[in-house]
Amino acid sequence: MTESTVSVPFDVYRFQPGKDAAPRYQHYTLDLTPHTPVLTALLQIRAEIDPSLGLRYSCRSAICGSCAMQINSKSRLACETQVGPELERHGRIVVEPMRNQPVMRDLVVDQTPFWHEYSKIEPHLKLDPRRPMPADRPTEMTPAEVERFKETPRCIACAACYSACPAAEADPSFPGPMALAKLYRFAVDPRDSAHTDRLLRIQPNGLWLCLRCHLCTEACPKDVRPSERIRDLKEMAIAVQGATEHGSKHAVGFKENLKGAGQINEMKLVRATFGLGEMLGQVGQGIRIWRHKPELMKKPRKIEGMDELDKIYAALDPPPKEEP
Amino acid sequence: MLRHEVVVVGAGLAGQRAALAAVEAGRDVAIVTKLHPLRSHSGAAQGGINAAIGPNDSIDAHTYDTVKGSDYLGDQDAIEYFCREAGPTVIEMEHFGTIFSRAEDGTLAQRPFGGAGFPRTVYAADRTGLALLQGLFERLGSERFTMYEEWELARIVVSEGRVQGIVAVDRRTGAVQEIAAKAVVIATGGAGRIYGRTTNAHSCTGDGMAVAYRAGAFLKDMEFVQFHPTALLEGGILVTEGARGEGGILKNALGERFMSKYAPKVLELASRDVVARAITTEILEGRGFTGPYGPYVTLELMHLGKEKIESRLQEICDLCRSFAGLDPVTTPIPISPAQHYMMGGVGTNIQGETNIAGLYAAGEAACVSIHGANRLGGNSLMETLVFGKSAGAAAAAYAAKAPSTALSPNEVDPVVASYRAWFERKDGEDPSQLRTELQATMDRYVNIFRTEADLAEGLKRVRAIKERFSRVHVVDQSKVFNLNLSDAIETEHMIDLAEAIIVGGYARTESRGAHFRTDFPKRDDAKWMKHTLAQYSPTGPTLSYSPVTMTRWEPKERVY
Repeated sequence: MTESTVSVPFDVYRFQPGKDAAPRYQHYTLDLTPHTPVLTALLQIRAEIDPSLGLRYSCRSAICGSCAMQINSKSRLACETQVGPELERHGRIVVEPMRNQPVMRDLVVDQTPFWHEYSKIEPHLKLDPRRPMPADRPTEMTPAEVERFKETPRCIACAACYSACPAAEADPSFPGPMALAKLYRFAVDPRDSAHTDRLLRIQPNGLWLCLRCHLCTEACPKDVRPSERIRDLKEMAIAVQGATEHGSKHAVGFKENLKGAGQINEMKLVRATFGLGEMLGQVGQGIRIWRHKPELMKKPRKIEGMDELDKIYAALDPPPKEEP
Repeated sequence: MLRHEVVVVGAGLAGQRAALAAVEAGRDVAIVTKLHPLRSHSGAAQGGINAAIGPNDSIDAHTYDTVKGSDYLGDQDAIEYFCREAGPTVIEMEHFGTIFSRAEDGTLAQRPFGGAGFPRTVYAADRTGLALLQGLFERLGSERFTMYEEWELARIVVSEGRVQGIVAVDRRTGAVQEIAAKAVVIATGGAGRIYGRTTNAHSCTGDGMAVAYRAGAFLKDMEFVQFHPTALLEGGILVTEGARGEGGILKNALGERFMSKYAPKVLELASRDVVARAITTEILEGRGFTGPYGPYVTLELMHLGKEKIESRLQEICDLCRSFAGLDPVTTPIPISPAQHYMMGGVGTNIQGETNIAGLYAAGEAACVSIHGANRLGGNSLMETLVFGKSAGAAAAAYAAKAPSTALSPNEVDPVVASYRAWFERKDGEDPSQLRTELQATMDRYVNIFRTEADLAEGLKRVRAIKERFSRVHVVDQSKVFNLNLSDAIETEHMIDLAEAIIVGGYARTESRGAHFRTDFPKRDDAKWMKHTLAQYSPTGPTLSYSPVTMTRWEPKERVY
């Protein structure tokens, strides 16, 4: 009994900076069973058609994190993406290198920026010399305490999240989803004694650049859910320090803002986010809004069902704290 | 010329642990690795790491189980050292930051594993290797050392009777570089890709073993190749022994729990060689299932319940669901044995010293030997750390006293010349085609059950491939990330190692642990309780033998 094969068209990104003038897409057609992983197909291309195709790969079982790439415009591990469903959905398989990292050759990218962001969060346990580890036994940690890491220990550093992240694309100073998920892993570790320091330093260093688009969580092959851990970090950072950045001030201001009327008071929100001084710097913008959309400048009226919203606020206050 | 006191080749658990020990000893350390450290194959280890730290367990019990598991080929002094160090090593890794699974009382959880008398295997769900790799990488990352990432080992330079350094190729630029070093630690892992059906990563091509062998180091006990009983699909993706440790059972096509015939006392938790032979016997005698990826038996987890399967065997669940399209909560997993581990490797003592001054080895690339003829599950992760540390410390101590190295700047020349020949040929042999034929040869002739005729045929074929390799042709002429060149480099390594495996196995006319000769089905202690040592010669390995060290455990018949 053997599975029947289908003809699978591939368009594979080829580019060698310094040698090729521009990237091109090379077309290959292979006969494959639908369950064939894209990685297996690419290795078949290397072995039988073109040994010059550049890619990274190793374990072929979704644990080494080597073979992340763009498959039909999604950041995926090539080893666990099967050709059948891709073919059904897209009619072809377009394979490209990960985004937000410069191409070295074909599907191989330079991961220096990704690892640089990782090392910046100081990814190692920081111990308080006054509170040393127990000398001759492991740290006691209940299963519930282990649960606090959520899924972050599953991270295989494949960078699929970094590739999918529009914030990393727009602003290279954004640490990226993986580095922040890693930061969360240390910020909840009962053995680590630098929780507060870690949270104090991340708030002004890119935490609030996250757009909350959740594309990282969609891309992550190990269900680490980086965007949710970034959300946790935001709450933890505000809890230790209050709101210090435009992003956090906006978030806190937004919550307070709705309380009176159930509608946004734009003027108040701008002021909460930027403060009076910076707000004055935006007078020009204010005049333009006043001319074109004066309703935005008006004090909002109380919405119907405000009592329902009050109940929600009552349930939220005090907010459930993720104790750092 | 690049220069360091200690160069560690390989950045998995053994390499990183060796580097950490050498850095802590104050040496200038470099790591040379063909993969980013977190992509090392150590991270693929699933089930756990053995340490006799449970309340009823003992170091003696761990030692005895390991000696018995080794089929009395393990060196008992080394095994005693290993089992003594295991407890402190787990604690150290926990302190480095490793996130282990816990019992309700806050202590480390431990699960039963094959060939072990107690639940001795500490774990992090079913991604223990990844958890350890992260913990160690985080710890090492706060130290100062140099990393040459995506560099491939080409040569170890030995002159005046000692190591002078290495030659390696930078994959990103194609540059062939020398690194002068007083001491070199080989920690490049196993060579599973000699086989087609293997649980090992594509990167497991035995580079360090092969290069050390060409430099004059002994390869020890290479004929002992472990086949993991439970691997998935045609490629052989690993399904952890932890699945059986948690209560998984094996059934044949008649629905029989067949392990009762082969290991009546411990059933599925017999040691790996026993279970792999049992499965293969069931299949050969017609009691397997037939499927698109060859004959198989099934591993059933359903009775464990959804919650236990999804929490303790989370990665296995994902692998089954996304790679095999089946749910282990409701469906038996089709499995059959696949190559998994090399008991053999570069021969060392407890300090990781080889027969060459300044050359050390640790982890799967080395053979101390604690695994003897068959490794117990959960002992290899521990081996990487215990002997990585001892080899790194010994290399650092040696480097502190060794005279400065005298590496001549033309040591790259022979390497450059041979690569140039590969590039310049107009046509010739395709390295990946040769690799595929090598893998098919090993799968067919040097597998779980071996005979003189098969081994002779296997050797003939491997030597024919070796001869064809002399005309190898690298088509891709690019300098940057030239995997076609890597194919050639790695295939040359694998051919040498395959030859050593077969020659050792052909000579060993007995059955011991993972080396089973159907023409010599009994263990023969009088003639064969000794280590095989293979030394490189251009015409093939020259064999000699060394005694097994015994301390307290007399050889007995091995029954599970």
